Amino acid sequence: MNLPRSAGAVLAKELRIELRTRDLTHTVLFFVLMVAGLFSFAFSPTADESRRILPGLIWMAFFFAGTLMLQLCFVREQANDTLAALRLAPIDPFAILLGKLLANFLFLAAAEIVFVPVFSVFYNVSVLPVLGRLILVLFLGTFGLAVVGTVFSAMTAQARMRELLLPMLLLPVLAPVLIAGVEATGELLVPHPSLAREWVSMLAGFDVIFLTATWLLSGFLVEE
Amino acid sequence: MKGKEGTWRLAWLATAIVLGLAGYAIFFVAPPELRQGNVYRIFFFHVAIAWGAFLAFFISFFGCIGYLASRQQEWDWLAVSTAEVGLAFTTITLIIGSIWGKEIWGVWWTWDPRLTTAFFLELLYISYLMLRVMIVEPDRRAMVSGVFGIFAFLDVPLCYFSIVWWRTLHPQPIIGGAPGTGLDPRMWYVFLFVLVGITALMVVMIRERYRLEALRRQVGVLAAELEERAAPDESKGVTA
Amino acid sequence: MTGFWYILSAYLAAWAIFFFYSATVGRRLTRLEAEFRRLKERAARD
Repeated sequence: MNLPRSAGAVLAKELRIELRTRDLTHTVLFFVLMVAGLFSFAFSPTADESRRILPGLIWMAFFFAGTLMLQLCFVREQANDTLAALRLAPIDPFAILLGKLLANFLFLAAAEIVFVPVFSVFYNVSVLPVLGRLILVLFLGTFGLAVVGTVFSAMTAQARMRELLLPMLLLPVLAPVLIAGVEATGELLVPHPSLAREWVSMLAGFDVIFLTATWLLSGFLVEE
Repeated sequence: MKGKEGTWRLAWLATAIVLGLAGYAIFFVAPPELRQGNVYRIFFFHVAIAWGAFLAFFISFFGCIGYLASRQQEWDWLAVSTAEVGLAFTTITLIIGSIWGKEIWGVWWTWDPRLTTAFFLELLYISYLMLRVMIVEPDRRAMVSGVFGIFAFLDVPLCYFSIVWWRTLHPQPIIGGAPGTGLDPRMWYVFLFVLVGITALMVVMIRERYRLEALRRQVGVLAAELEERAAPDESKGVTA
Repeated sequence: MTGFWYILSAYLAAWAIFFFYSATVGRRLTRLEAEFRRLKERAARD
């Protein structure tokens, strides 16, 4: 099987599992609402202030939601040792990772579709005028999170204390995404919004570099 | 084996002598700097140790690649030894840099690009060592930490540039300037001397740490052998 | 010498951290060597 078809099959499998169990969807939805509520207690911001802190809040909330979700991606396979079956399939190991990372990307994107309107209402910041550009920034940042997160989830699946380990590995590596994401989002929420080219290219560069590294190293990651 | 051990002892001795002389040169040979007076003398060690740390992380990156390419445990030992020594050197760099900053900038810490990048390097390689603690099986540990080592090293330039851009968009809290350019030739000689000493220190320290890893392997092999001898039937899955 | 205490404290801090680190490596080495000897002896006895 060629790469797109086999990755598509893995992606379809991930989506099917999620549609049946709805584990991630429910947890993350609740997490999003809870974080949005709790942050507003912690800061009680005015409109001007919230414009300043909102980008940081959005990205920190995504990162923590992401580490929660990504945990399950490979651990889920362990209950019935289904990863062994995937490994036996006559497909490129990169296809397994690609399918899973696309699934993770879609889950994260779905969470963001809820997240952004909720935040924009709670904090009284209008995102509609810059929606297209905001989606671009969120897309690139979320993709970077999904790539590195899927890889690290595969790495830590068999480690001790993996629930603690994954965030500790993931968050320092994601520092460039956090800086670039927050800055680019911030530029969009000021009175005269503009798309920050250097930050968008930083996010795109991060995605390309780590997707390439994943492709090169995929053989080792899926191995027993 | 004995001859090899003697060579390394000689290397330790030579390193100690060079660093002792370097210490003397820093305080008594190098002339005071025009704007900073004497505090700049911290820089000889600071810059040399930072160089040592970065070199160690660079070797660690190749150790990771080497392991993944060859599956030889020795590469993994090299990767972990260099990562740990690099981490120790980064810690020293940050702390003595901070002491210098207190005198010149008036603050212990600023979010300057190099400082922040060093801080993230520290975090990344602490994660690397923590990951190793959490995986027991040696081959799996070597492979997973090899992949993480590559990811972490690829992250460093991205971190650096994002922080440089981030800083240029924010006001800088720096009070004094960067260290003066155009070094006095005597300063150069002293610096090169310190650099040689620190690099040698890094090499001998990595070798000590590597020996630890090799010994750990020997102990593991011996313990497994003894276990096999103690219960030979069980290990073969045959009951007498 | 102006700023002498800053230079001296930085210099001493550098060596203190280094010696602390090399002491941890040394301690781990001695422990492993003892373990290695113990196992060797057991292997010779059996």
